[in-house]
Amino acid sequence: MALFHQEGRIDMYTNESSTIIGNPVLDKERIKTKRRSKVKKTLTALSFLAPALLLYIIFMLYPMLDAVRYSLFDWNGSSTTMNFVGLENYLQLAKDDIFHKALGHNLLWVVLSLVLMVLPTLILAVLISKVKYGKTFFRAGFYLPSVLSLAVVGVLWSKIYDPAMGPINKLLSSIGLGFLAKNWLGEPAFVIPALVIASTWAFYGLYMILFLAGLQNIDYQVYEAADLDGAGPIRKFWHITVPSLRNTMNLVISMVIIHALKGFALIWLMTQGGPFYMSEVVSTYVYKAAFSMNQVSYASAGSVVLGIIVITFTIAFNYYRERSEA
Amino acid sequence: MTTLTKKKGIAQISIWIALSLLLIIIISPIFYAVLASFKTNIEIFTSPFSLPKNWSFDNLINAWQIGNFQKYFLNSAVITVGGMVIVALVACPAGYAFAQLTFKGNNLLFYLILLGMALPAQAIIIPIFYQLRSMGLVDTLTGVILVSAGLALPFSIFLMRNTFRDVPKELRESATVDGAGEWRTFWSVMLPLAKPGLVALLIFTFMNIWNDFLLPLVLLMSKDKFTISLGLYSFQGEMATNYALIFGGTVISMIPSIIVYLIFQRSFVEGMSSGANK
Repeated sequence: MALFHQEGRIDMYTNESSTIIGNPVLDKERIKTKRRSKVKKTLTALSFLAPALLLYIIFMLYPMLDAVRYSLFDWNGSSTTMNFVGLENYLQLAKDDIFHKALGHNLLWVVLSLVLMVLPTLILAVLISKVKYGKTFFRAGFYLPSVLSLAVVGVLWSKIYDPAMGPINKLLSSIGLGFLAKNWLGEPAFVIPALVIASTWAFYGLYMILFLAGLQNIDYQVYEAADLDGAGPIRKFWHITVPSLRNTMNLVISMVIIHALKGFALIWLMTQGGPFYMSEVVSTYVYKAAFSMNQVSYASAGSVVLGIIVITFTIAFNYYRERSEA
Repeated sequence: MTTLTKKKGIAQISIWIALSLLLIIIISPIFYAVLASFKTNIEIFTSPFSLPKNWSFDNLINAWQIGNFQKYFLNSAVITVGGMVIVALVACPAGYAFAQLTFKGNNLLFYLILLGMALPAQAIIIPIFYQLRSMGLVDTLTGVILVSAGLALPFSIFLMRNTFRDVPKELRESATVDGAGEWRTFWSVMLPLAKPGLVALLIFTFMNIWNDFLLPLVLLMSKDKFTISLGLYSFQGEMATNYALIFGGTVISMIPSIIVYLIFQRSFVEGMSSGANK
């Protein structure tokens, strides 16, 4: 059965149902009907796939190629002519200080997200998995922020960071630490960490669920053996839990990185990349260039760079994962 | 032995207390917003952490009316339901074909779809905008529905393929032997068996489209087409320092997702872990 899709006569001999072998006339007949059935099979499969392929081509594949095409031209989005400029837009990007800054911020965003998200979320998941009563309650409660839309998270956290009425500054001054109060989203040193904290709040839930699922698969007996050896909880965590979760850990780390590279909504909602490009990332920079400054082709080049970074990372990571898990 | 159980009991209680405290801290921004939505602007400034003096629904009602949230709700609902219907109708057969049917180029096509999963929406949003403009679909709900469905497709197909892969092939074969065509087999034998996967797919799609910000931001211009997310964003801009009203709008915007979450909590968690573990 499995060989049906292969060419030629081979499946004639391997297919269990073929009983007559070697009769040339019958052979020909069989090949003919088989071909016909193969065509029919492909047509059936196509009828299942056609709508998906159509949507995919119109809204993903074609735009993908279009993005590359735009990036090789000079176009403002409204003029009827497009001038071919080759790699000019990319050379421009390579010299653009703000683009460099944006890439750097993406990188900082990745690092901070990894620090804030991976280990703390793992520890949280371990604690939840240890609790006997109320496991479901804690899991559901800790997941709650993740169901809110980014618009809600963005508006809510910009109010939390508000220098005048925000609860953070109010809390600091009410416990006598008023000198620590800041314009959290307005100061270069604090704006990105502040944004990453809000983003962590909005996204850690998924990773918690993944860790919890991974923890369920660890063999309980390993812990019992470690108990007999007198290992404490911290040693057990580093020597059993973390190594056993290697696959989940890989998945989470890659998701955090990809997510950090793609981040747009929260930044746009809370700072729009400001103040003075201090929280500009590639996606906000590209958005501004395309939709408020009409530099469509230049922005396309930037988005192609972003796309290439994300796709390369994803493919490389999956390659690594398949090799290490095999 | 008794000391050991005692020790375990103490450990349990301390974990329980630690988790509860942490949960309170994590949830506090939501509580803060809900409380603030009942307060006046002066109260928000002067007593940010206390309960509101009067539990007045004025902010919620005013935000609802001034902010035109009714319209935003309707638009979000139309876009989300439209997107879910298209995604389900398109991704189920496709996932089924990849998992159960043998045809030439199966793997190649599937890798092409996977490539779409890696592609960030930001990388193609510019061409999508100009493409929709040439189709006359910019600033229409139809345009957002189609693009949302298109972008959701790679992951949805992936999910449904994994779901159908777990259905034993023999079932399909015996149905075809009984004379049912592939489509009939799909509808009446296979799809009912894939129900858990379909539920997960619908929940994922609901959350993604309902909560999306980038596509509506780029594709919609006129206010009467805005979704809740976009509406809240513009409402916040217009209200500037009227925090009480902004919190009212924020709370209105978070209610639907929280309700859906509470109803489907279990399927949520299961869908998440199964969807990502594959």
